[in-house]
Amino acid sequence: MMDLTQRQWVRHAVTHPIEGFEDMRWKKSGSVRIAFFIVFLLFIGEIFDERLFGFQFGIPYDKTFSIVPYLVKSFVLFGAWVVGNWAVCTLLDGEGTMKNICIYSAYSLVPYIVQLFVNVLLSHVLVSDEVVFINVIRLIGVGWTVILLFSAVRSVHQYSGGKTVFAVILTIAAMLIMLFLLVLFMSLVQQIWIFILSVYTEISYRFRV
Amino acid sequence: MKRSSRLLTLVLSGLLLAAGAVPAHTSADEPYEVYNYDMWGEAIPSQAGYTAGKSVSGRDLGAGPMDGPSDIFCDHEKTFYIADTGNDRIIAADSGLENAVRIYDKFIMPDGSETTLNSPTGIFVSEERDWMYIADNQNSRVLVSDKDGNVVMEVKKPVSEVYDQKRTFLPQKVIADKAGNIYVVLNNITTGAAMFSPDGEFTGFYGANRVQPTAEIISNYIKNIFRSDEKKAGMARSVPSGITGFDIDGDFIFTCSQSSTQTTDTVKKLNAAGKNIFADLELAFGDYRPMYDVSNNKLMQSAIVDIDISDDGSINCLDRTTGRIFQYDEECNLLFIVGTKARQLGGFDTAAAVESVDDKLYVLDSAKDTVTIFEETAFGSIVHEATALYNDGYYEEALDPWYEVLRMDGNYRRAYIGVASALLRKGDYKGAMKYAKLADSPKLYDKAFEAYRREFLRRHFGKIAAGTVILAGAAAVLRYRKKRRTAAADKEEKEE
Repeated sequence: MMDLTQRQWVRHAVTHPIEGFEDMRWKKSGSVRIAFFIVFLLFIGEIFDERLFGFQFGIPYDKTFSIVPYLVKSFVLFGAWVVGNWAVCTLLDGEGTMKNICIYSAYSLVPYIVQLFVNVLLSHVLVSDEVVFINVIRLIGVGWTVILLFSAVRSVHQYSGGKTVFAVILTIAAMLIMLFLLVLFMSLVQQIWIFILSVYTEISYRFRV
Repeated sequence: MKRSSRLLTLVLSGLLLAAGAVPAHTSADEPYEVYNYDMWGEAIPSQAGYTAGKSVSGRDLGAGPMDGPSDIFCDHEKTFYIADTGNDRIIAADSGLENAVRIYDKFIMPDGSETTLNSPTGIFVSEERDWMYIADNQNSRVLVSDKDGNVVMEVKKPVSEVYDQKRTFLPQKVIADKAGNIYVVLNNITTGAAMFSPDGEFTGFYGANRVQPTAEIISNYIKNIFRSDEKKAGMARSVPSGITGFDIDGDFIFTCSQSSTQTTDTVKKLNAAGKNIFADLELAFGDYRPMYDVSNNKLMQSAIVDIDISDDGSINCLDRTTGRIFQYDEECNLLFIVGTKARQLGGFDTAAAVESVDDKLYVLDSAKDTVTIFEETAFGSIVHEATALYNDGYYEEALDPWYEVLRMDGNYRRAYIGVASALLRKGDYKGAMKYAKLADSPKLYDKAFEAYRREFLRRHFGKIAAGTVILAGAAAVLRYRKKRRTAAADKEEKEE
């Protein structure tokens, strides 16, 4: 039973929100490569959603384009989630390894990504009066992903429902702390860099005179 | 390589020369950079709609130098009246502002005695009665006189319970409507303009500004619920800024308020009941983001000191801080930004009043003591033509002028909107979509796209329906065959 290829596992996990990840765990399946590909698709999808959306729903500011917000919205957030969840759940007797957390979380993002692409396509067919279709699809996509994420955390760590909620809240807190530290660290590096630069300028002026 | 680049320069310079030779007045030779705003509220370079023609001083008029003049008005006979505040007189000049026609410094009262002005700051001439209304500031009165200098009426500080008697009565600007009601702007009154009946009776205040709901005022409002009356009496009251200038256009009175801290109600369009028609529209007048003045280290917050309505309904707002005139069409879309703070022709020191006649703008500077005359450029006239047609609903007739505007200035956003609307009306939906996109207007794009989609579906309905049926059929057949195959496989398995 359940002799599925890695790609079929993605479909199985996504279409079976309750037991899909349990099956995956039982069969020790899931591929890191597919997980990274899914996160990459998330990155592409975020850009499409912002840049290629139909003009009848608003025109994006197109004088400048920065890739950093999209990188943050996909790779950085996902990375923070995986690391945060691993850090929290190691303390909370979770059974998941970093690799498994990464795979399961990535798989549960699929409905959200599908929603992004479907909506971009739909936005070129619908007019703004029919925006409700887009909103409904968005709601379904987000809701599905939330349920899948919950299920993924539950089965990867073998938690009860209540403990999963607790772990998820702690994970979000951990993510915030990590991002805060990251910003702090970056500004510190910047300050040091400016300091080194000004010392260098000072010295170079002294030598010239 | 080198030769081809030289050839290219030659061709380009030839093109430039050709482009420069055709339109007479489209190139910007103003002493400032002409700009306009795009959809994002960012300043972008633009063509000049007006160019400074000449500036006229009191000496040019043959009336001797002016001293801090503060108001200019052009009546229905195209005679200009300038309130020469420092010299206590009114100068009347001909329509070309070449010679003074008459200088009013003495008036004859109804009882035969003579009276003089003391710092007149406002002048208005009514078309219906042919009377002059003079805001005689330091004499605390509004003088109404005919054009021969015979005083008809004197409006003084009203004796009324509504008017706080402790306050002075210093008229700043004055206008009169068709019925003869007189409106007076007073510089110490924040409850609106004082309104007088045609025979000079005080009837109340008109068109007060609202208080801007800042965080401090809202928190005070909530605190006031719990405060005692004694405490409330000791608090600083929040009052709106007073009206600075106004103009009348048909049945509507436009007011402006010069306040560097307040942004609500800087420009209002009041109906006869005193209700502001612009109140619920989200409009911004003056610069969106105040310019930072590096040499004086301060923000140049817009202070709109005077307003004037052109014959075609355009609204001209004069900003004293930046010396700019912001011209809007009757729907309050920004058309042009004219003027600057400079010593050259076309720049101002302390701009005090603006007046428009036909296609010219007249700006009075009370520090330079001159009137600067701005003439409409070719670009300006074509924009005005297109705007007038567009605002009257003649979208298709406005199409060619809009194309002409775009030829002169590809940054002019209103032109893209105009072209898109016209093409939409004409039924060229694809073109309308293209121009709506260029105009950054999602609303127009939506309309054009909806029409385009409807037409597309109607034209290709047969193909779409056939395609759907074929696809559905193919899917059904495939599914059926797959089912049969798995069923057969299951059967085999069982048999084994």
